[in-house]
Amino acid sequence: MFVSESGDIFGSVTIGGCVDARVIEEAAEIMSSSQPRLINMELGDDEAREIGLACAGSVGIFLEPIAVQSADPINRIYDQAREEWKKGNNFALATIIGGSGPLPAAIGSRALVGKTAGPDSPFRDELNGILAREVPALIDSAAGSQTISYQLEDGSSVDVYLEIFRRPSTLLIFGAGAVAVPLVTLAATLGLRTVIIDASPRFASRDRFPEADQIRVGIPSEIAETLEFGPSTPVILVAHDYKIDLPILKKALTTGAPYVGMLGSRKRGRTILQMLRDDGISEQQLARVRTPIGLDLGGSSAAEVALSIMAEVIAVMHGRSGSSLSASRSGEAGTLR
Amino acid sequence: MNPYGDRILDHFRHPRNYGSLDEAQIRTEEFNPLCGDRVRIELAVAPDGTVNAARFQGDLCIIAKAAGSILTELVTGQTLNEVESLRDSKILDQLKIEIRPARLKCALLALVAMRNGIKAHRAEA
Repeated sequence: MFVSESGDIFGSVTIGGCVDARVIEEAAEIMSSSQPRLINMELGDDEAREIGLACAGSVGIFLEPIAVQSADPINRIYDQAREEWKKGNNFALATIIGGSGPLPAAIGSRALVGKTAGPDSPFRDELNGILAREVPALIDSAAGSQTISYQLEDGSSVDVYLEIFRRPSTLLIFGAGAVAVPLVTLAATLGLRTVIIDASPRFASRDRFPEADQIRVGIPSEIAETLEFGPSTPVILVAHDYKIDLPILKKALTTGAPYVGMLGSRKRGRTILQMLRDDGISEQQLARVRTPIGLDLGGSSAAEVALSIMAEVIAVMHGRSGSSLSASRSGEAGTLR
Repeated sequence: MNPYGDRILDHFRHPRNYGSLDEAQIRTEEFNPLCGDRVRIELAVAPDGTVNAARFQGDLCIIAKAAGSILTELVTGQTLNEVESLRDSKILDQLKIEIRPARLKCALLALVAMRNGIKAHRAEA
């Protein structure tokens, strides 16, 4: 979240905004002192928390002043980050936000760490080595930005906030029918990229999919060979057509796609899976196919089906079941919603 | 019960000449907008007009895929003149079941693609 001297804001810290007002208040002091600071905030007021009306827990927020002048090192590091992003690289911005004992650099110091961007950093070599060793795996993992406390050889520790910049997942959507249209809209809202693949130019058109990042028309199985399937490419089959489902499933099940879902009834799904089984696809691979596709939301319109599919994709990408938070205890703490 | 018949299912499950050629004098695609079948036909043609090799490729329904397989077997070794004179009934007979009117386009998609490809090839020559 950015707060300007005149009080304008851009972005937010929390989704509910309960903390943001206090951040804006603190920002004025940070700007006048020109010193970065980590502040801890309890969520909700004491009385409301006591009777359960406010979210429990606390949140640590790092506030720092940023000068508009280009010479400011923070501007410089964000310029580098922007360049990396433009090149399509994943990376992390490592910021020292605290620790114990002598710190390897001043609080607020930053370094860009990635697979291709070297640690051109103000940190001491020891911390650079640790980051180069450990951060690339974090960039690839499902976990988001986080603070990690690293132990240094002299017995001191340093708290590093790792802000992960990872290319958004790309939904590979095979079939440009009615369900695909709201799917692309929902995906765009969620910040996901989309590729629509279909044999028909009439269905897979820019008019029908103005928000799709790519529209590919041709022989779907042939197009699939030119696409990159990986841990950030959920595969959604909504063609509802065995001639597309069969070859695409064969392809997708040999890849690391985190989600493979196919539209259709249980009966149809069983038949398709049996045909794949007959072709030698293993039970372990077949178990990855989610069919009928989507969570059980009960809707039947194209938009409702699309929502149930997107909900299942999001749940799978986050390693969750997709069940109601109210029916489980997992959402009690640590999630601001 | 198998409504397609053994011959169609055999060619669907084990299509002959499925894939592409490194070098083809004729390469053409045909699309059936009703069912979404899209087929690509490739022919390697000798200077004397003989089809030395034929390939087809596409995400096709059972009938269209079987028909593509049977057709490519049929035309290999024939001259372009002979291929052009192939009647629809020749392919339909080879499928060994009665093709309902609604599925005729599927059964003849590869043949139509091949005819169009030969026509374009002759126009270019």
